[in-house]
Amino acid sequence: MQSVSSAKSVISPLGPFGDLEPFIRWDLATEPERMAARESSTLEEMRTFYDATILRLPAIVQYLNGFPSDRMPPEAQRLMNMALSLNEVSIAVERYRQPRVINGRERDRFFPARSSGDN
Amino acid sequence: MDTESGDHHPNHNYKRWAARYPELGTGPVAVEPCISPSFFELERDRIFRRSWLSVGNESEIPDAGDYFVKEIAVCKASILVIRGHDGVVRAFHNVCSHRSNTLVANPRGKCRGYLTCNFHSWGYDIAGNLRSVPDERNFFDLDKRAHGLTPVAAEIWNGFIFINLDPREDLRTNLGGVAERLHGGGFDQLRLARRYTIDERANWKVAIDAQNESYHVVYQHRYLMPNLFTTDDRGCLRLSEVTFYDRHSMYACDINPSFRPSPLESALMQLEVAGAGAQRDQYRFPMRNPFEFFLIFPNLAMIFFRGPTSDACITHSFWPIAVDRTLWEVRFYTAPPRNAAERISQDFMQVFNRVVFDEDASAHETVQAGLESGAKKHLILQDEEVTIRHFHRIVQDAMGSTENAVSE
Repeated sequence: MQSVSSAKSVISPLGPFGDLEPFIRWDLATEPERMAARESSTLEEMRTFYDATILRLPAIVQYLNGFPSDRMPPEAQRLMNMALSLNEVSIAVERYRQPRVINGRERDRFFPARSSGDN
Repeated sequence: MDTESGDHHPNHNYKRWAARYPELGTGPVAVEPCISPSFFELERDRIFRRSWLSVGNESEIPDAGDYFVKEIAVCKASILVIRGHDGVVRAFHNVCSHRSNTLVANPRGKCRGYLTCNFHSWGYDIAGNLRSVPDERNFFDLDKRAHGLTPVAAEIWNGFIFINLDPREDLRTNLGGVAERLHGGGFDQLRLARRYTIDERANWKVAIDAQNESYHVVYQHRYLMPNLFTTDDRGCLRLSEVTFYDRHSMYACDINPSFRPSPLESALMQLEVAGAGAQRDQYRFPMRNPFEFFLIFPNLAMIFFRGPTSDACITHSFWPIAVDRTLWEVRFYTAPPRNAAERISQDFMQVFNRVVFDEDASAHETVQAGLESGAKKHLILQDEEVTIRHFHRIVQDAMGSTENAVSE
């Protein structure tokens, strides 16, 4: 997605955080999706997303605090999803320095038999 | 010096717990209970059919008619837990009085009228009374009042719902010192934030043993928590507390003075503190250490973490399916997040711990395989694994008598 720089204002899908649009693929609503994205991304891709987003985290949090958590506009919900993706990629970027967990079981055997709470 | 809790030994000490709890011994612990099918069959009755088992939390069934069904394979039981119109939480065998069909098929839901059996439409109210029988006049001397759902003892402690198929004592008496210690605090604010179940090819006690110590943390979790808990001068874990409460146990860890949170952890902590303001101590548990692990015999672990603005609770339940198969049920309990920073931090804690448990789970199955090979007949336990020693002793006590055995 491209935000257009012109005399007409274009609403970014990320509200005031148009600078994070290059990373909009991390707008993932559920934990299984975010986990799959971590495992299928390169460390370099994740590090770029991580570096850009962690800098904006205080501003993102302040922006999100302006909405009730159960009635967020789409831009805010996308940003929340990206903040949750930041949690997921931090596992790779900060801990393992690779996309996959090193000491864990095979993903398709571990990933929970039943999971809930992806709100 | 205080004998029970809270005194901190110098970090260069070792064999501290054996000195304090000599009755537990220091020798090897037998492997046989983890691999013997006949031992497992005896555990069904001598442990699981007569113990208080935690099946859920009040927050899961807040309103009248709300229910969940807990399958307890080791007891061959399906337990319906349902909140009545009077607000009372009741438990029943999920078995129709007519010909013992399973009454409720859904694992959770809300009953808005009667619970109705799919087979012949017998209907029960949400207090378990039999209220409607199709073709009732064609039965013989049918007194519906005598054929309600079979009740199961259910009691609630700190919002956690326990059932017992054959109670010898009430829940509070059984919990004893654990209930006294974990009294008050933020339990009434807790709600179930996330749950998942891991199907493992391991004995339930193998899975518990793996969680019931932190000796492994600096090794198995070296990528995740290399420097979190206090160690001695050789980098070996040193617990800050071990306390036994009859059948139950707890251990605690302190935070290593050289621990440094990761950049994301730091950012989230700062944002949480900034956002919480005066409310930062609103949701706290009565913790004496920043990390506490309680094992509520037989199969419930309750873990408490001190956070910057609130405390969190994770529970593990280990449901035996067979001698070599267990369902490991993980549940995250939090107070409702008060702002976006807490919302994101709570997710971080859940994601981080998911990976920790992924690493833990990898050892459960490999240990089980090793035990089944027969290569070794014993577990060799060090001093910081004393809670494993205690747990195996309690299992033996429970198996060795027909009454509730009490270890010293």
